[in-house]
Amino acid sequence: MLAALRARVARLEAGHGDRRGRDAIPICDGLPLPGGGLARAAVHEVLATSPGCGAAFCALLLARTGGTVLWIALEVDMLLAWPPGLARFGLLPAELVLVRARRWPDALWAMEEALRCPAVTGAVLALPQEQSAEAHPLDLTATRRLQLAAEAGGALGLLLRPDAASVAPSATTTRWRIGAYPTDADATLDEGCWQLELLRSKAGRPGGPWAVTWQAATGQLVLATATPYPARQAAR
Amino acid sequence: MTGRFLALHLPSLATNRLRRAEPRLPPTRPLATWAAFGNRRLLVAVDAAAEAAGLRPGQALADAQAIAPDLALQAAHPGADAQALQALAFWARRYTPLAAVDPPDGLLLDITGCAHLQGGEAALLRDALARLGRAGVAARGAVAGAPATAAALARARSDNPIVVNGIEAVVAGPLPLGPALRLPLALLDELQRLGLRRVHDLLDLPRAPLARRFGQDLLDRLDAVTGRRRVVLQPVTPPPDLTVVQDLLEPIITRAGIEAVLDRLLDGFCRGLRQAQLGARRVALLAWRVDGVVQEVAIGTGTPVREPRHLHRLFAEGLERLEPDLGFERMALEARATDSMAAGTQAGLGLGGRYDEAVAARDLAQLLDRLGQRLRVQRVSPVASHWPERAVAARSLHGPEPAIPPGWDVQPWPVLLFRRPQPVQAAAPWQAGAPAMLPWRGRNHAIQRAEGPQRLEPEWWRARPGLQRRDYYRVELASGVRLWICRGESPEAPAWLLHGYLP
Repeated sequence: MLAALRARVARLEAGHGDRRGRDAIPICDGLPLPGGGLARAAVHEVLATSPGCGAAFCALLLARTGGTVLWIALEVDMLLAWPPGLARFGLLPAELVLVRARRWPDALWAMEEALRCPAVTGAVLALPQEQSAEAHPLDLTATRRLQLAAEAGGALGLLLRPDAASVAPSATTTRWRIGAYPTDADATLDEGCWQLELLRSKAGRPGGPWAVTWQAATGQLVLATATPYPARQAAR
Repeated sequence: MTGRFLALHLPSLATNRLRRAEPRLPPTRPLATWAAFGNRRLLVAVDAAAEAAGLRPGQALADAQAIAPDLALQAAHPGADAQALQALAFWARRYTPLAAVDPPDGLLLDITGCAHLQGGEAALLRDALARLGRAGVAARGAVAGAPATAAALARARSDNPIVVNGIEAVVAGPLPLGPALRLPLALLDELQRLGLRRVHDLLDLPRAPLARRFGQDLLDRLDAVTGRRRVVLQPVTPPPDLTVVQDLLEPIITRAGIEAVLDRLLDGFCRGLRQAQLGARRVALLAWRVDGVVQEVAIGTGTPVREPRHLHRLFAEGLERLEPDLGFERMALEARATDSMAAGTQAGLGLGGRYDEAVAARDLAQLLDRLGQRLRVQRVSPVASHWPERAVAARSLHGPEPAIPPGWDVQPWPVLLFRRPQPVQAAAPWQAGAPAMLPWRGRNHAIQRAEGPQRLEPEWWRARPGLQRRDYYRVELASGVRLWICRGESPEAPAWLLHGYLP
C-alpha cells in the first residue's frame, strides 16, 4: 500500500518522463536512500568540511552519470579541479569540460544552461573555499532556478560548497555533508575514508552519519562497520 | 583587364578629422596642423578657411600666426590620421568587401561587379562623395580600370571622372607628374628642370636611360598609372566567404529593432550557407552608424553551424556592446571562416522521438558555443609527464578523445590542486622526513600519518630554469583531512609548500 502510494507520488513529481531512464545514481550499498541513490534531474547540495573529500565525492557521482559533465568554478578560486586526480574516481578527461567564470552571476548562468541541456548528464558548481558566503549568494531563488533547469534537462546537478556555520536555506533535493574520517592504522592513504551525512532530503528522512571507504581497486564505496562521530565536530 | 577600381582622394583628411573631433570650432575660423622639422616649426596641413587666408603647408608657424591671428593650431598626429583612414576603409566596405587604404590620404576600392548594387558606377561614386561630404570629409573620386590610374585621376582632376577600361595611358597622359605619380619633391624638381611636366612627356622618352638616371621606382609608378603593371590591393580585412547586407530606410536604435534586423540577416545568411553546403565557424555582424562609424560584433563556433536560432543566441551577448547612438543605417553579416558541411548533417533523424547521438552532439556543441562567448571553457588532454603542473594540456573542445598514457590515472594524485604551491610554516622534527605539525585554516594540526617522500625532479629537457626538485608527502591530519605537501630544495624559497588536497 505504502509502496504503491510512494510510486504514485514519484510519478506525479516526475511530471513528464524525460528521454532517458530516471534511474537513480547509486552511491553506496547499504545506505537507506529512497530510490536507491541520488535522483537524476535534480540538484543536490554537498557541504564539504574537507575540500578534497567533497571534490572526490562529486567526481565519483558525476562519473556514474555516464556522459559529458561540466565542472564550473570561479576564476578567483585558488584551487583547481585536477583531472589526473579526478580520473581515479572514473571521471575521465574525455567526458570532462572545465568552465571558469569571472563573475558569480556568469557561473550561475553557466550552471543553469548546462543543466538545461539534454546532452549534459551532470554538472557541478564549485564555490571557492576561501571566500565568504556573502560574495557568492546561493539563495532559495537561485537554487530553485537550478532545480527547475535540472528537471527540464534531466541532468544531475551538484553544488559543492564549503561547510559553514550557517547555510542558507535552499531548494535542492538533498543536502549532504561530507568530511574526512581518520583511516585505520593498517590501511594505506590510497583509500579514502569519508563520513557521509544526509542532512536533508525532500523524498525521505535525513540519515547518517555513515563512515564509508572508497576502495581504489574496485572503484566502489563500501560502508564501514564503525560508527563515526558527527562530521561537524570532526572538522574542528 | 576587366577590374574596376574606385579611388577616393581625401585632400584635407587631417583638418577634417580635427574639425569632426571639435564640432564647436566655428567653420570660418582657420585651422592648421604643424610639426617640428629640426628646429623649425612648419605648417603641415591647412583647411579651406586657412587656405583662403593665404596660408600654405610648409610655411613657418610664426609667419602663419602673423598672417591669421585667429588661426587654430594643433600638432600634427600622423598616427591618428592613419587610424582615421583605416576607419574610413572599414566604412567603405559598405560598397565592396575589397577596400584598401592608400596612404597617406586615399582609399582604393575594388568595385568589380559591385557597382550595379548601387545603381551603376556613377551613382556609387556620387553616393560615396555625398556621404563623405555629409560627414565633413572633403573627397574627390575617380573610377578607372587600374587602381593607380584611378588614384592619379582622383588626385589630379577635380571633375570626378569615370573612364572605361583600356585607355589608361591616354587619360593619364595629360596629368601633371606631381599628383599623378606622387614622386618625392627632389625628383619632381629635377624632372621639372628638364622640362618634363606631364605623364606623356615621360612616356615618349626611351625607358632604359630613364631607369638608369631616375631609378626603377619611377618606371614602376609610370607603368602602374598607365595600367601596364598589375597592382594588387591589400584589403583592410580579408574578403569574407559570404556576406549578407540589409540597408535600413530609417536608422534603428532599439535593441528590439537590431534583433529583428539580425533575424532577417540570419535567414538569408543561413540560406546562402545551405546553398553553398557550408557551415559558419566565425561570423561578424557589422553595423554602419549614420555618422560613419562601423561597429562589429564577432562570434565563433566550435562546429560548423547554419542554424539561425543558434547563431542568434550566440550574438545575444555581443549585441549589448553595440552603441547605436543616432542609429544604424546598414547592417551586414560576414562569414569570416567556414567549413564544408554537407546537407543533412545538421540534425539527427528524430525517428520515434528518441534522443539520438547526433542530436546530443549538436546540443552539446551549441551549449559549449554559448558558454564560450562569456566564459573560459576548456577540455583537457592527459600528458605523459610526472611533473604535476605539466600533467594536463588544454585541447580543442570538439576534437577527438585523447588517449590516456599508461599510469596516468592510477597515481595517488590530489583531486584539487593549488594554482601555485602555497608556502606553509610546518614544523619538522628532523631535517629529513615529514613534518610533525602543520598549520591549516588558521590552526596548528598534528600530523597523524605521512607517506613519502616521493621525489620529483623537474623535467630538464623542457629547459624551464628556476624549478627545483620537490619531495612530496601525503599527510593525514588528526581529523582525517589529507593534504599533499612538498619540500622545496631551493634555499631562498620557503621550505614547505601545500600543493593540493587528497581525497
